[in-house]
Amino acid sequence: MLRIRFHGRGGQGVKTSSRILGRAAFSAGFFAQDFPIYGAERRGAPVTAFTRISHSPIMERGYIFNPHIVVVMDETLLADAQARPLEDLPRGGVALINSARGPIFSEDQAGHVFMRINFTDPALRIIGKPIVSVSAAAAAAKLCGLRKQHVEEAVREELSELGVRDELLEKNLMLMSETYDNTPRYSIKVDEERVGAVELVDPASGRVVYSDVFAAGNAVHRATGNWRVFRPVVDYGKCTGCKVCFIYCPDSAISLDAENKPVIDYEHCKGCLICVVECPIRAISSVREVEIFA
Amino acid sequence: MTRYKTLRDFPVEEYLSPGSTMCAGCGAMLVLRAFHKVLGPNVVFVNAAGCLTLLQVYPYTPNKSSWMYTAFASAPAGAQGIRDALDILMEKGRVNSFEDLKVVVVTGDGAAYDIGLQSTSGAIERGLDFYYLVYDNEAYGNTGFQKSGATPYGSATATTPPTERNPTGYTGVKKDLFEIWRSHKPPYIATVAPSHMVDMLRKIETASQFKGPKLFIAFSSCPTGWGFDPSLSVRISRLAVECGIWPLKESVYGKVRHTYIPTVLKPVEEYLRHQNRFRHLFTPRKQETAIASIQEQVNNYWLEAAKNEGFRITVAKPVTIAPP
Ligand code: SF4
Ligand code: SF4
Ligand code: SF4
Repeated sequence: MLRIRFHGRGGQGVKTSSRILGRAAFSAGFFAQDFPIYGAERRGAPVTAFTRISHSPIMERGYIFNPHIVVVMDETLLADAQARPLEDLPRGGVALINSARGPIFSEDQAGHVFMRINFTDPALRIIGKPIVSVSAAAAAAKLCGLRKQHVEEAVREELSELGVRDELLEKNLMLMSETYDNTPRYSIKVDEERVGAVELVDPASGRVVYSDVFAAGNAVHRATGNWRVFRPVVDYGKCTGCKVCFIYCPDSAISLDAENKPVIDYEHCKGCLICVVECPIRAISSVREVEIFA
Repeated sequence: MTRYKTLRDFPVEEYLSPGSTMCAGCGAMLVLRAFHKVLGPNVVFVNAAGCLTLLQVYPYTPNKSSWMYTAFASAPAGAQGIRDALDILMEKGRVNSFEDLKVVVVTGDGAAYDIGLQSTSGAIERGLDFYYLVYDNEAYGNTGFQKSGATPYGSATATTPPTERNPTGYTGVKKDLFEIWRSHKPPYIATVAPSHMVDMLRKIETASQFKGPKLFIAFSSCPTGWGFDPSLSVRISRLAVECGIWPLKESVYGKVRHTYIPTVLKPVEEYLRHQNRFRHLFTPRKQETAIASIQEQVNNYWLEAAKNEGFRITVAKPVTIAPP
């Protein structure tokens, strides 16, 4: 059996990705299972979904704790203490990572194989949106040894169910095809015998992080800058200090300096780009984000 | 006299820190932030289940004020408890009057229009001295956008998808919460929208003069549920007001006044067509009748208001229905 775990952020198409992979495997004649963790469906918040593929009926249920492949649809999740996408990935397991720096292939000391592939930029180029469900599914399918025709069929069916039609569907198929071709063939060998040891942590050890319930405004310790696909950049030569961007930033990520000029807090700006649209003189532009904020 | 004449008067002090887990471009956050700024630091929010509940997920909170979480139906009851406790403690001299807090119920439309409507009715009837802020994104947004009592005609939601037999999506009407509340004759009710920020700041300021229930219904553009690019959040709000879909008004002891009159209404299509929740009205086949009926509701609303308050308005024509 192959176990695949998808990690992404709400709005990227994590659940769809696991479904496309499951359906492609099913079309190819395998038994398949796919499902997400249901929770608050929030754009930007970490989301997890799973796919199991097997030659024989699948009796296993529940979350996947021992994946062969983890698909990380947003590279910044690698540093996210809650998502922990690499957790329990065995020696030889593959971490397929969406990275603006890809393609890069590497291995770490724990024997994990890292494949960094750029999903976001082709998605922006072809469908005009940073939705990477189809790319992630296509790349994962290739690693699972599935054929392109089955992935194509699955993309068609899954996206039609979601109401994606005609031109947009065709573009998604192009994206699928391109990502499939750009993903190397690879045969995964993991040590199946490994049993996860349960670790007990002493609360006094300092490894358990907690906070005072009376803490005020401490959300500032959570960096949300990684949600961004585009970064707003102020042209201070043009800016008149009218405060409009400050007023319309929903996340208090803009503060004002002594001359009422905006200062953007990139550690927290989520990249909604309301400021870009609302600035009356278009003094804010948006550029593709490549930096990572841990 | 108002402290808020232009956008430049928008208060600078920040009571909500960045780093929340609300969606990028969330309209409800724009409203909450403005409310907090006008009301100042001495506030306690009483919240019922909804998107903003997830503002406070242990161990993090963006609030520099207090927040109490109650069951879905009972935020106004929670507010009553806090108000009474503060009053008693002040009377006994155990809390100084400068330590007093403004009690603000903040809920989504699910709690306000449906699940918590009776407890709000009770609180208004008892004359509870509190603010109620509903951030109305016209569905249960936190759980995947199911229909609520605030869902408007023609909207697709997870539970009212357009189908072959019913291509229009939701075919009922949005409850008129403003009128439901107004029938109780509270001191102050207002509708607000983040695009019209000065109007919003002034209304919160006006409300503060009254003792008793002060109730607000806030247009809360929701990129995730409504399906539009987050950068358009304020634009969508502006279009809702300019098309007449979201009237800006207030009621003082039951007497209504519109605070912003979109003298020449834009056609509702301009508002509808930017959002995926209305996409089925335009493609694969344009549903002229459904769009015309939305326009007609808006037109009737404004003609009636113009008559009552004596202002002039030019309504948009309902789309002409092409012969088959
Ligand atoms: S992009 Fe959005 S979150 Fe970032 S500074 Fe602009 S308005 Fe604020
Ligand atoms: S909206 Fe534009 S001009 Fe106004 S303060 Fe912001 S950047 Fe400057
Ligand atoms: S679902 Fe809508 S209302 Fe809820 S946090 Fe997201 S944008 Fe805001």
